[in-house]
Amino acid sequence: MAFFKKKTAKDESYYLASQWVLMWRKLQKHKLAQFSLSLLLVLYLGALFADFIAPYGLEEFSSLYKNTAPTKIYWEDENGDFSRPYVYKLKKVNDKKTWSVIITEDTSEKYYIDLFVEGGEYKLLGLIPSNLHLYGLVNEAGEVDRSVRVNIFGADSTGACIFSRILFGARVSLTIPFVSAAISFVLGILLGGISGYFGGMVDNIIQRIIEVLSAIPSIPLWMALSAAIPPGISVSAMYLYITIILSFIGWTGLARVVRGKFIALRKEDFVMAAKLAGVSDFKIIIKHLVPGFLSYLIVNLTLGIPGSILGETSMSYLGLGMKAPATSWGVLLKETEDLVSVAQCPWKMIPLVFVIITVLAYNFLGDGLRDAADPYK
Amino acid sequence: MEKTNDVILSIKDLKVNIRIDEGTLTAVRGVDFDIRRGETLGLVGESGCGKSLTSKAILGINDKKCKAEGEINFDADDLGWVNLLSLNPRGKEIRSVRGKQISMIFQEPMVAFSPMYTIGNQINEATLLHITKDKKKAKEISLGVMKKVGIANAEKRYDQYPHEFSGGMLQRALIAMALVCNPKLLIADEPTTALDVTIQAQILELMKELQKDFGMSILFITHDLGTVARMCDRVAVMYLGRIVETAPATEIYKNPQHPYTQGLIGSVHKIGTKAQERLFSIEGTVPLALNLPAGCGFYERCHRRIEGVCNVYDPQLVDVGGGHQIACFACTGCPNAGKEENA
Amino acid sequence: MRNYVLKRILLFIPTLIIISFVIFFIIQLPPGDYVTSYVAAMSAEGEVFTAEDIAHLRAQFGLDDSWVVQYINWIKDIVLHGDFGYSFEYGRDVWSVIMDRLYLTLAVSFIILVFQYAVSLPIGIYCANHQYSAGDYIWSFFGFIGTATPNFLLAIIIMYYIYVKTGNVYLGLFSTEMLQNGMRWEYVPEFLGRCAIPLIVIGTSGTCGIIRTVRAQMLDEQARQYTLTARAKGCSEATITYKYCLRAALNPVVSGMAGSLRTIFSGSTVSAIVMNLAIQGPVLLTALKSQDMYLAGTIVLIQAVLVLVGTLLSDIALAWLDPRIRFSERG
Repeated sequence: MAFFKKKTAKDESYYLASQWVLMWRKLQKHKLAQFSLSLLLVLYLGALFADFIAPYGLEEFSSLYKNTAPTKIYWEDENGDFSRPYVYKLKKVNDKKTWSVIITEDTSEKYYIDLFVEGGEYKLLGLIPSNLHLYGLVNEAGEVDRSVRVNIFGADSTGACIFSRILFGARVSLTIPFVSAAISFVLGILLGGISGYFGGMVDNIIQRIIEVLSAIPSIPLWMALSAAIPPGISVSAMYLYITIILSFIGWTGLARVVRGKFIALRKEDFVMAAKLAGVSDFKIIIKHLVPGFLSYLIVNLTLGIPGSILGETSMSYLGLGMKAPATSWGVLLKETEDLVSVAQCPWKMIPLVFVIITVLAYNFLGDGLRDAADPYK
Repeated sequence: MEKTNDVILSIKDLKVNIRIDEGTLTAVRGVDFDIRRGETLGLVGESGCGKSLTSKAILGINDKKCKAEGEINFDADDLGWVNLLSLNPRGKEIRSVRGKQISMIFQEPMVAFSPMYTIGNQINEATLLHITKDKKKAKEISLGVMKKVGIANAEKRYDQYPHEFSGGMLQRALIAMALVCNPKLLIADEPTTALDVTIQAQILELMKELQKDFGMSILFITHDLGTVARMCDRVAVMYLGRIVETAPATEIYKNPQHPYTQGLIGSVHKIGTKAQERLFSIEGTVPLALNLPAGCGFYERCHRRIEGVCNVYDPQLVDVGGGHQIACFACTGCPNAGKEENA
Repeated sequence: MRNYVLKRILLFIPTLIIISFVIFFIIQLPPGDYVTSYVAAMSAEGEVFTAEDIAHLRAQFGLDDSWVVQYINWIKDIVLHGDFGYSFEYGRDVWSVIMDRLYLTLAVSFIILVFQYAVSLPIGIYCANHQYSAGDYIWSFFGFIGTATPNFLLAIIIMYYIYVKTGNVYLGLFSTEMLQNGMRWEYVPEFLGRCAIPLIVIGTSGTCGIIRTVRAQMLDEQARQYTLTARAKGCSEATITYKYCLRAALNPVVSGMAGSLRTIFSGSTVSAIVMNLAIQGPVLLTALKSQDMYLAGTIVLIQAVLVLVGTLLSDIALAWLDPRIRFSERG
């Protein structure tokens, strides 16, 4: 008997669970979405603690390392025995035959990779001052030598560490889409809601605006809008502008969906009941209508983020988005502008891997959420 | 099994397994019944007891996730006495049975038609498939059946779309589509559940009339014992993927034996009951047919359960005479009385 | 049906007016005007401008009026004379600048649009009919990667690959020989090869998107009750797939058609810059940067109008496809 009682209690909790609990449970079954979620968490944490994880700050570059390949890391000493990982420093050599300067490894001294090495100063999370970095180089005597560098993803045309720049760039590239999605979200619910709930003239006007905005191809629109960003403004202001530009388009699709849902829901009995009970329009929208499709909106939003990420990349790439010294993944990819640089420095494509991974992760997460959003299926 | 004179469909030990995330769920756990020529068999049970799966298994139109085992023998025109489960579910042979010899009407007429095509197109499709390739003739036949099921102004209705029809009219159209090829067996899967009460009565009347005209057998699936009384010659009561009691319709009302059947009948409101008297309701809910414990499926909810028997052995249908069969130890006595349990 | 089409065409006009207004507003948003950027560029090369020169230039280009007046003049000329304005940068009619590249732009966009649907519809149907098969997984994988890679980077990767394989750099749609000698039959294979790269680059993301939509829609439709009815009737699987499911699944695909035209315009703009294609994208970018506003405005306007026409056509197609829409509009 006891066995059955227990089971019924569990069943009961299943039947009574809120929509969100059900969604979460279903999402946990979606392995790919789970994996994507953890991957995104890792990426966001990486961006948050970029100062600590990145061995070099944004201003630290070295002309010696211009366009150099990922630093070779050795695990074996001269005798072929296992050793602590170490690297060699680089030196300039004049090639006698071609009269050109080439850069080769100077094997006279070893520099060991160590954890928690002192480096450039920064404030962790903007609060705690520190100069410790996750990894860095020490010479054989155990002293920190800042002139020798380990660039695990190679260096860019200024001689900065691409890995470090990817981490710092993530701060822009991972948050811009998020913030602009949030703006789109509010605009979409608000305007779509008004349009669908009130109908008539208001609906007509909003519909025309949406139609107009969604008829203009997005990249020309972005190009035109970002050409309007005044030159010489601060990085944070530029960030704000670009966020707004990206959300300029995102909201129209969402507003359409919201409007459709509102029109369908408006006719439902429970809305009529609320109206008869004297509940205000605003309250009906917020308390009765929005929860009815919030899960659906979140799915839409998640699936909209990849578009913003790609948009930011395109804009920066065209020189219309973030500009150096600010760093974003798009700015990094600007270095792969032409064939020559890709052919000579293929490691400059590494930021692309991060773009693709992030976009895929958001897509998979969105797919998982979409399946989970319908818990009764 | 051998074919006996007037049996047209004979189901033997039918099991339907559904693959789900948690494993395999056996939703139909060994069902046996026969349908004779011209008779109406009612298959009654709560939602989720496996009655719809059983009916879809006959036509082989269950979801890909479902796998049917056992035997469904049918007296097919061209194929003779054939086990429908042995036919390729996408093959030509089963398709010559579907719609032509066995057809089906569904619970919700509003979603049973594609919104993209006219009603006439969709009814005529069956005619063109099974009766004649001549388009003119086919349309005549289809229109004839539409008139027969009581669709007024059939010529105009023929070119209309499903969303221009009312629910009751759509059910009539669905019946027309099912009957257009004059099938031997009509499976009606809760045909009136989604309709208004007055329309329900009309549709049931219509089905009875048409059965007289066409002389087909009907497998009538429902959870509503009231309609069963009106429609059926015999009734099979299903619980948790098993038939627990089967008897002639009149017998089942007069003399229900299985505690579940008694409960079902007790929960129907009858004219003449006192206002103070509460309707009987069966306690608890149907357990999930996954990792079912041994014994009778109704054990948990049964007020006559015998501990040590009902939760140990599996009751089988036992004939108690007069075409009445019951699968219940409390009604027919314990199987291994006096013997020691070995398992 | 005829009323519906008429109503839609009438609605088209106010939308067009609003859209031209919005575009002009956005184009003139950047601070300064063509003269400012022209003077800046020229001064950098050592030219000296007096304040008078600048004022004279402004007056000559009609840049002294407020932007609303400029807009009204622009529209008036378009409607009355078919004159889209003057390109400061090129020193001639905007229309003649656009005509240089219009046909090629339209041809490239149209070919990509057709290519997208020709490839993605069958694949989407296949994936839905063989859900969770190896083929489904492979296509889904490609689909995801295709949508996740920015167009222009895909262009670079493909060009790099071709460069490594053949030692040739295929930039642009025409080789120098083709431009010198005109088109000859022997150039056709090379021309097609050159077309393939932009086709893949610009078309991939859209194609992958449509595959996913078609697959999801087909799966949705296959789960509907009417497929069961059709199956119970004795219809073959092919009839169920093509007559019933596909027809219903096409609905969002058709309504997304204008959207994919829009994506093609967007994608081609950036990719064309990377691949040096002689279509309108690069012209637009320089026009925007130098504030050659009538040229930029006209290009964006043309693209927007094409998308609007696409929307109109797809709405009409939708009404023809789906009787429910036809009737709700009539009633």
